Amino acid sequence: MTTPYLHINGIRKVFGEVVATDHVELSIAEGEFMTFLGPSGSGKSTTLYILAGFQDPSAGDITIRGKSILSTPSHKRNIGMVFQRYTLFPHLSVGENVAFPLRVRRMGKSEVDARVKRALKLVRLEGFEDRMPAKMSGGQQQRVALARALVYDPPVLLMDEPLSALDKKLREEIQFEIRRIHQETGVTILYVTHDQEEALRLSDRIAIFNKGKIEQVGTGPELYANPATHFVADFIGDSAFLAGELASVSGERAALRFADGTTVAAVPLHGSGRAGQAAELMLRPERIELATEPGPEGASLPVTVEDMTFLGNNTTLAARTPWGAALSVRLNFGHPLAANVARGDRLHIRWSPEAAHAFVRG
Amino acid sequence: MLLDFHKLGAWKWLLSGICALMTLFLLMPILFIIALSFGDSRWLIFPPPGWTLKWYEELFADPRWIGAALTSAKIATIVMVLSVALGLLVSLALVRGKFRGRAVLRAFFLTPMVLPVIIVAVALYAAFLRLGLNGTLVGFVIAHLIVALPFSVITISGALETFDPAIEDAAILCGASPWEARFRVTLPAISHGLFSAAIFSFLISWDEVVLAIFMASPGLQTLPVKVWTTLRQDLTPVIAAASTLLVVLTVLLMIVAALIRKGKSR
Repeated sequence: MTTPYLHINGIRKVFGEVVATDHVELSIAEGEFMTFLGPSGSGKSTTLYILAGFQDPSAGDITIRGKSILSTPSHKRNIGMVFQRYTLFPHLSVGENVAFPLRVRRMGKSEVDARVKRALKLVRLEGFEDRMPAKMSGGQQQRVALARALVYDPPVLLMDEPLSALDKKLREEIQFEIRRIHQETGVTILYVTHDQEEALRLSDRIAIFNKGKIEQVGTGPELYANPATHFVADFIGDSAFLAGELASVSGERAALRFADGTTVAAVPLHGSGRAGQAAELMLRPERIELATEPGPEGASLPVTVEDMTFLGNNTTLAARTPWGAALSVRLNFGHPLAANVARGDRLHIRWSPEAAHAFVRG
Repeated sequence: MLLDFHKLGAWKWLLSGICALMTLFLLMPILFIIALSFGDSRWLIFPPPGWTLKWYEELFADPRWIGAALTSAKIATIVMVLSVALGLLVSLALVRGKFRGRAVLRAFFLTPMVLPVIIVAVALYAAFLRLGLNGTLVGFVIAHLIVALPFSVITISGALETFDPAIEDAAILCGASPWEARFRVTLPAISHGLFSAAIFSFLISWDEVVLAIFMASPGLQTLPVKVWTTLRQDLTPVIAAASTLLVVLTVLLMIVAALIRKGKSR
């Protein structure tokens, strides 16, 4: 394997007693859009701050093109960053904000003017040079911040939840802009968010952070189709989890038994487990099919319909298993059952065996 | 709103009347002294029988008045510079610092505001007696700095609190060294606070009289002290002229301060 463009090598950061990140290991290719996704306090922002040089790791190294950047102070790392909060310089106009990184680099006037113009064009804010930041909307301010972070052509751009202060519609609009800018500039982007939809929409690959560690790295479809851990399965997409225990394990497949003795067979098992261990069955709602008959190979469960909600493109059923666990099932509009399902109906949910996942608990 | 001014009916006129009377009450002494400074009666008769500029001519012809004004200006300028410089450092520690006893320290820096000035004056007088600072420029500056600093600390910490430190981080990632970031971003961004602190510090020193009376010597006195001592010797309209000039400078600086505040909120 060749040397990766950006390599995060065993980064560990301890604040007093608290381990913020623990042995974070990640390789990022040049021009890649990598997102750190995880709940707050999962260590994703700490990792980004270490990259920016605002914090020093307790152990580990970060290299760009094989060279460690840790001994270089923040202002010499030549890294671009867009922050969660609005960080435009309040006393400078938009043009001067974008020109700031070039001025501290003592660049000539004509070069500064040309680059500022190009950067503002990139974020679609041409002609806003003389506007003061206080006179701009939150979305515009973050676009100026993006122009300021890109104007000096940094090899890596860090983005720390840059859209979390914006409302949903504006957020989607700027996500689209960020994608376009990534394609136009080819800059390597490390993006931190706790919003899975944002991560899926933007990223080439996603690193899922939990409790200071990376749980899994992969493209959106990989993570969705093949979550390595219970946490990833829960965090990406909404899934149904049914708690039970392992009845038997053979190779990478397992049979699960639930509280009332119902079993399902041949479920792909993640991680190792023994018969008798507590485990959970995970099902993606769109992979579940509702039928009047049980499915083959034990890949089905009987359910009782408790309530129906019509949501336009689908009808969502609240259902209950024989042992009393709740789960929701979606029926697409036009599904033959959608029109005549009623409360109290006893039906079966079915799935193709490889669409289910079993996770050992603990 | 319950007490909406436009819904008060006849009460509206009463309230407006009270406001007008209050304003007049506050302005009266100032208007009175200004009128007297232009009146041609040596005995300060009001209303003045005629108008003249001779008290101003007398004022500007007397080197003792000019000397006192220059002393005042010199002390106020030094106090202003030191108060802003120290106020900035104190505010940085109080706002950005993370240490135990920060709240206590903050309260401590504000005590000169609530402590009776006469107590500060007596204490300083006693201390300066041993140090030989009474009647010196240094003594004046220290005394005025003590009462001016709390105002600096309040205005500058206020400005600093509304300034997000992440903006400084952004400047550093843009390539500015930490010192460059402070001088090119943080200081300009809180400049309205620095200017307000400067103006208030100057004014506090400029019209401070209690401490100044304790610190003054025959050879070194400020304008308010000169007004005070002249008043005790003979009642001349020159005092009114000097007072008017004090008021004019104060008002001018207050207007500048108000404009800076307005510019900041713009």
